[in-house]
Amino acid sequence: MQRQNPEIYEDRVVVRLVQFSVLWAVLGMAAGVWVAAEFLWPTLDFGQFWLSFGRLRPLHTNAVIFGFGVSALMATGFYSVQRTSHVRLFLPGLAWFCCYAWQLVVLLGGLSLLAGWTSSKEYAELEWPFDIAIALIWVCFGIVFFGTIARRRIRPIYISNWFYGGLIIVIAMLHIVNSLALPVTLDKSYSLYAGAQDAIVQWWYGHNAVGFLLTGGFLGMLYYFLPKQADQPIWSYRLSVVAFWAFTYSYIWAGPHHLHYNAVPEWVQSTAMVMSLVLLAPSWATLINGVMTVSKAWAKLKRDPALKFIVLSLAFYGLATFEGPMMAIRSVNVVSHFTDWTIGHVHSGALGWNAMVTYGTFYFLVPRLVGAELHSTRLANLHFVLALAGTLLYILAMWASGVSQGLLWLSVDRLGELSFGFRDIMAGMRPYYGLRLVAGLLFWGGTLLMAYNLFMTLRGRRTVAVSPPPVAEPWRLERGAAGIATERARA
Amino acid sequence: MGRGNMERGPFLTLLFDPARVFRELADAERTRIRAIQRYLPLLLLLPPACAALGGIVFGWRLGASEPLYLGTAQAVIVSLLYLFALCFGFFSTVALARWMGVTYGAEGSYRVYVALFTVVCAPLAVASLAHLFPHVFFNVLVMIPAVIWSMALLYRGLPVVLHIPPERGMLMSSALVGWLLVAAVSLLGISAGLWTAGLGPAIRI
Repeated sequence: MQRQNPEIYEDRVVVRLVQFSVLWAVLGMAAGVWVAAEFLWPTLDFGQFWLSFGRLRPLHTNAVIFGFGVSALMATGFYSVQRTSHVRLFLPGLAWFCCYAWQLVVLLGGLSLLAGWTSSKEYAELEWPFDIAIALIWVCFGIVFFGTIARRRIRPIYISNWFYGGLIIVIAMLHIVNSLALPVTLDKSYSLYAGAQDAIVQWWYGHNAVGFLLTGGFLGMLYYFLPKQADQPIWSYRLSVVAFWAFTYSYIWAGPHHLHYNAVPEWVQSTAMVMSLVLLAPSWATLINGVMTVSKAWAKLKRDPALKFIVLSLAFYGLATFEGPMMAIRSVNVVSHFTDWTIGHVHSGALGWNAMVTYGTFYFLVPRLVGAELHSTRLANLHFVLALAGTLLYILAMWASGVSQGLLWLSVDRLGELSFGFRDIMAGMRPYYGLRLVAGLLFWGGTLLMAYNLFMTLRGRRTVAVSPPPVAEPWRLERGAAGIATERARA
Repeated sequence: MGRGNMERGPFLTLLFDPARVFRELADAERTRIRAIQRYLPLLLLLPPACAALGGIVFGWRLGASEPLYLGTAQAVIVSLLYLFALCFGFFSTVALARWMGVTYGAEGSYRVYVALFTVVCAPLAVASLAHLFPHVFFNVLVMIPAVIWSMALLYRGLPVVLHIPPERGMLMSSALVGWLLVAAVSLLGISAGLWTAGLGPAIRI
């Protein structure tokens, strides 16, 4: 006999995190557009240190990765873990703490970057007070997430939760190890590691932050929201589980491919290169799973603009996860490294994959959270065109400038001397930087449209109260006295 | 009358009236399929031929003060490899599309697929005339509209020619766009690998 469940999902915190995520997307991408403009007009810093490239660039990356990306992952993680566990969030108050404390860290951390505080580690620029705060909030995030799973009423742990769980555990490990430092003042610390060891730890962190946050975390989002949007089960659940473990095993080795031809042992570089190539298999297993799942949902494309974003995000996910291993090959990397090709690669993933899958998810999620239709499907379709055009233009411009730079850096004359100076080469790249600025404006304009569309959808509406549905008997778990799920003895 | 136009200027029809070409391909008219396929060798030859000529005469203009020149023999070898890559890219795309077609319920013979992709790649091939003057930014400016044109042809033409609903065609086209993006970046990666191996411009590592 099925029982009535009086619980209500804690979705208000999801709405608030989505709002913060969109806000950071607008602000972070604006910083990116400004930085792109400074490549054309360097005087746009108006002589102010805080507007210089060196300070705005980390603000851009931190705002989009940690503000936009992590807020979106927290929102979707909190939303999906409740639905897949059939239970309200564990310690909702702690979830609200995570929500606001995270925004405060991103805000104050961003201001500290503008003020010139920096550890000088890429994607880990924030100084030690913020590192400690991030670690504490992340542990709280983990307590809410894993606590919810521990209290679940359904026996299986759905695949999206494995990816979100991997995100929480691995990012905590990476962040804490890479941030170990000796503080000397409030705004300055020195890494516990020195020289090549510091570089290896930094890129172990840097690459796996890309891996477990920007890839693994967003795969968690995809594995929950794609089947929901497509109204289809995952094409192969078994493949998704195999892909998760293969992905987790192989990603962690790949970091030193950022240090090819540097003062680290060659076997370390070669191992990273080989493991980067191995990584293609689990990445594309997920790609195939996604493409095959969505292939059955074609009829929904007519009325659902969100699904278009997901479809294109899969194409760019395929591109980025192929391009990465290819660029990890040493003979390719020697041309591509230190060029705009790398910037193009990062943005094919960041714009084409991360942002598009998040936009598609938000267009799906927000109307359901408040029980209303999306304010404007036409605006969403226009956003799709702008996002696609912006991403393609960005990638093409950076491919052309990157390959040109790679060739010019390495060109030698008959005497074996370098043929071109750095400044001359960079001066020749101005037209591409103009194209990139246009691409950034297109993409940012689309994001503004989404922000307006979602604001109008949410405006004046309350979050819908949703209760967990009952779980069918073979899959049901009963809660023990301590609130921890125990497997019901099955006759 | 429509057929008369096709017979008088089939290549221009290919470029400027693709909707009619798609309808005819959907009807699997053999004469139309053959007429289109006749242009395939030309379309595949055009980019490497223009690139070889431009590279030898004008040099690669990458944005620096001086162009990079290749020796004639090097330019010919690079262009032959370019031709091989284009042929491989074209026919592997056809094979992949036929393989995908099963999933998306597409109908069409091998010849229809070849003709469809000939139409789709025609704007790109014609735009490759820009290779005659291998100034990279100039080529980028010419190729971007060509890429958009080709993508539009793919999204519009594929569902018509392969007899599938437009929404399903959008999914199949997007899957192919993913494949083509991977193919494009592979070409860059292979080129970089060959330069490192000593084929192409003089670089030192």
